[in-house]
Amino acid sequence: MELRERYEEDLALVLGLPAWLGLLVALAVLVLFPLLAPRYLVYIVTLMAIHILVAIGLNLLTGYTGQISLGHAGFVAIGAYTAGLLMVRVGVPFPFAFLLSGFSAAFFGFLLGLPVLRLTGPYLTIATLGFGIAVHQVLTNWEGLSGGRMGLFIPKPSIGPWTLASEAALYYLAVGTTGVLTWIAYNLVRSHIGRAFVAIRDSDVAAEVMGVNLMVYKTLAFGLSAFYAGVAGALQGHLLGYIEPQMFTLFESIYYFSMIVVGGLGTIPGSILGAVLMTILPQVLSGLREWLPIVYGGTIIFIMAVEPWGLYGRWLRIKWWLKTWPF
Amino acid sequence: MGRLRWKGLVLAVAGLVVLSTPLIGAQERGITPTEVVLGSSMPLSGPAAYWGAVGKGIDAYVKYLNDQGGIHGRKLTFILRDDSYLPPRAVANVRELVERAGVFAIVGLIGTANAFAVRDYIVQNRVIWITPTADSSIWAGFRQKRYLFVTYPSYVHEATILTRYAAEKLGVKKVAVFYQNDLYGQKGLLGVKRAVNALKGAVKLVSAVPYELVVTDLSSHALKLRGSGADAVILYATPRHGALIVREMAKIGYRPRLLASFTLTDPIMFTLAGEAWDDVYLTAFFPLPGTDPKVDETLQILFKYDPTLRANPFNSVAGVAFLEPFLEGLRRAGRDLTTERFISAMETIRNWDGQVIRGVTFGPDRRQGINRIYIVRAEKGRYTKLTDWIEYPVEF
Amino acid sequence: MAVLALQYALNGLATGSLYVLVALGIVILYRTSRILNFAHGDIATFGTFLAFTLITRLGVAPLLAYLLTLATTGLLGAGFYSLILRRAKEATLLGQIVMTLGFALVLNGAVVVVWGADTKVFPSLLSETKVYHLGGIVISQLSLGSLIMGFFLMVLLYLLVQWTKVGLAMRAVSQNPLAAQALGIPTRRVLALAWGVASALGASAGILLAPVTLLDPFMMLDPFLKGFAAAVLGGMDSPPGAVVGGLVLGVIESLFGGFVSVAFKATLAFAIIVLVLTVRPEGLLGREYKKRV
Repeated sequence: MELRERYEEDLALVLGLPAWLGLLVALAVLVLFPLLAPRYLVYIVTLMAIHILVAIGLNLLTGYTGQISLGHAGFVAIGAYTAGLLMVRVGVPFPFAFLLSGFSAAFFGFLLGLPVLRLTGPYLTIATLGFGIAVHQVLTNWEGLSGGRMGLFIPKPSIGPWTLASEAALYYLAVGTTGVLTWIAYNLVRSHIGRAFVAIRDSDVAAEVMGVNLMVYKTLAFGLSAFYAGVAGALQGHLLGYIEPQMFTLFESIYYFSMIVVGGLGTIPGSILGAVLMTILPQVLSGLREWLPIVYGGTIIFIMAVEPWGLYGRWLRIKWWLKTWPF
Repeated sequence: MGRLRWKGLVLAVAGLVVLSTPLIGAQERGITPTEVVLGSSMPLSGPAAYWGAVGKGIDAYVKYLNDQGGIHGRKLTFILRDDSYLPPRAVANVRELVERAGVFAIVGLIGTANAFAVRDYIVQNRVIWITPTADSSIWAGFRQKRYLFVTYPSYVHEATILTRYAAEKLGVKKVAVFYQNDLYGQKGLLGVKRAVNALKGAVKLVSAVPYELVVTDLSSHALKLRGSGADAVILYATPRHGALIVREMAKIGYRPRLLASFTLTDPIMFTLAGEAWDDVYLTAFFPLPGTDPKVDETLQILFKYDPTLRANPFNSVAGVAFLEPFLEGLRRAGRDLTTERFISAMETIRNWDGQVIRGVTFGPDRRQGINRIYIVRAEKGRYTKLTDWIEYPVEF
Repeated sequence: MAVLALQYALNGLATGSLYVLVALGIVILYRTSRILNFAHGDIATFGTFLAFTLITRLGVAPLLAYLLTLATTGLLGAGFYSLILRRAKEATLLGQIVMTLGFALVLNGAVVVVWGADTKVFPSLLSETKVYHLGGIVISQLSLGSLIMGFFLMVLLYLLVQWTKVGLAMRAVSQNPLAAQALGIPTRRVLALAWGVASALGASAGILLAPVTLLDPFMMLDPFLKGFAAAVLGGMDSPPGAVVGGLVLGVIESLFGGFVSVAFKATLAFAIIVLVLTVRPEGLLGREYKKRV
């Protein structure tokens, strides 16, 4: 085990030469990837980055703050439609529409956070699930706003004179955004906010007694989580070039939820691992045709049965085993 | 001296170009001297898995063709992948099919959302795209249609024709629409509205009742339809919901005249709706099973190659209807196949009859292969043809 | 107008009674093991397809087939608990929920692979087209039968939980599993039994529903969500709550769909639930919500 001697070392996200080297190599691979890999892989990794973003956001809410949400597809939809409608109907330039997509989702996150403050467990599950269904129905039936089931074509994003049209450009946009927001999430969970979240998860009564304002922090968790989902939604809209309410259903919400549990609740690397696995798996299996759900479901059961703390938990165990070997 | 060398070089390059042209042609994506690769992404799992039979029908028919020796000595390879009806997965599948499996053409894709999500990619990469199964009127005015060939009817025009028929031949005065709350149903509703406006008061639209795909309790929908007092109800629904609403209406003693989209000509309706599926007026865009020997023969072939298709004969034979123009294009393109030759060959198809699909016409500026339907009536478990082909305008 | 409203309410009651059956299964499991079983709907669907095969392919007499189905589905649920869920000893609560999600995927996939994705007609002892008129209100023989069967099953369940030794053990386990174990109650067997009873209840809902909504691999998706919502509305740990929640939800939904908007029916159902929960976070009949540090 590494020994930490100074407070600065405890604060550092990356400690020691091997870690820095590892980070540099990872960054180099991420930067070079679209130049070397075939385009469909670039697309799949872009999709992965988007799913990672949703998963980290959901993990902030569920893994760190202990609030279940089965309505996250609703926030993703709000983000996608905010960005899309602002660009198509109002003519807002992409960077602003992109930012606003996150904030409008966050706003709805706050709104949802208020009435569900006192709810836990299945009660919260149903309330959030209902929120997701409500967003879907509003987008479907309020055609004047959303274009209904006719859907909405989303223009390619452009920053100033540059249009991000190619797979590689969208890849850099998505991976860059995800990278920055991941870094923010890493720092956030180590700040007083993250500690307040964890305190609420472990016992909200105790947290309140210790001076954590439940209303502020619970709604903050909802807002933050929704912000991540909203940004991811905007990215997904740009990636597909077309959005339609049916892309944001309960199935998607359940899918995001299983990502974080399979990856590892309350950890950021876990969110990443879970999102990566759950994106790759159906893609690799799609040739299995109608057998896909059986193998997919079986894999989920297997992972959860073998490793209750998810993929990241397994990784930690392997790491410890290697460190303490041969004892 | 210098000039001579240059000449030699130019000649050599020209010779190489001439020599290598057939080579480059042969190396085009998805074509080898012995093989043509096709791909598709369809819902084979998830709530829309029922429509996956279209893909399985194509799969079975391709196997049959290969056993017959293929086309111009080439066997067809059909790669079918599952997308669970989710656009992001459909896009990933199509990209992988084009870039990794290297398909010559994409056949199908089910649903408007999936079709729109891959549209730009397919256009940019010049992939031949045969009949995405979505309302064909979504392509009206679409300019980058060079690689797209569609033999799917338009729900809008179909609904217009049905409404006109109801008003003019069946004496219907008040019509209601029961529709699925997606593009399929909404296009149908739009067509009804157009006809109602065009008929200037001869018929009124008194109610439009939507339903969601996952909802199974249609009792309040039936009551609403009855409350509207319509003397005819037009159905734009899945076979399941079509059967449910008809049964539900019968239960509350409401028996309006029924008209429905061609998607409900599926013979499964006679089983699902029972006696209630009698005296229903529908349309068809190819001769229905049981009314045409060639179609029945095709069905028997499909059942032989994939017995599970017996449960879903209509969608599987529809799959063949979508594939056939492509096969004809391959035949006409001849031995030396390239994408451009294939397109030219497709553009020569005029009023062509296949085993299942009839009257297909493409042209240099025409990608809408069919623009006609006819009306049938369901009578005691059979469909009888009522009208000749009724044409509607070509839109793309 | 009044007659129409009555008709809507009656339809709502018929639908609601099926929500109740689903909700009861969810509540029984939640009470005893705190697990939200997302495979509940798919276990029921699987059972209903099984009954379909027994009746139409193997020619088993319907009543016998129903009983066989309930037993098999019960075993399936209990088996999932004993062989998979219980073995994953360290699994967190959310981990267990995700395992039930995985199981739902597997079962649904299996139904599509074995029986195909097409819709089928489920044979029924009662007729749907035969209707009874009660002064302008119509109810089909089938709906009436379902309603009666639904209430019969509810009473049966009540007797099981309140008046038998097994029921007593179930209640003990739900109150305090450790204390129950210390008193010599075989908690694992009781939990397996709870899974079995819940799954059989789900299957009975499926069998009652299938003749009306036709047999389809996704037939239980909507009833499961609504049943879950009904359970929450009534209070997750209260079986009478599940009954009240299911019926209230069914009636309100039907009336709203009839008089206001069909398109926003589901939104309304959930909006009502959120409203009720902001006033009573433990649901209509749930027990007082107390927590200590």
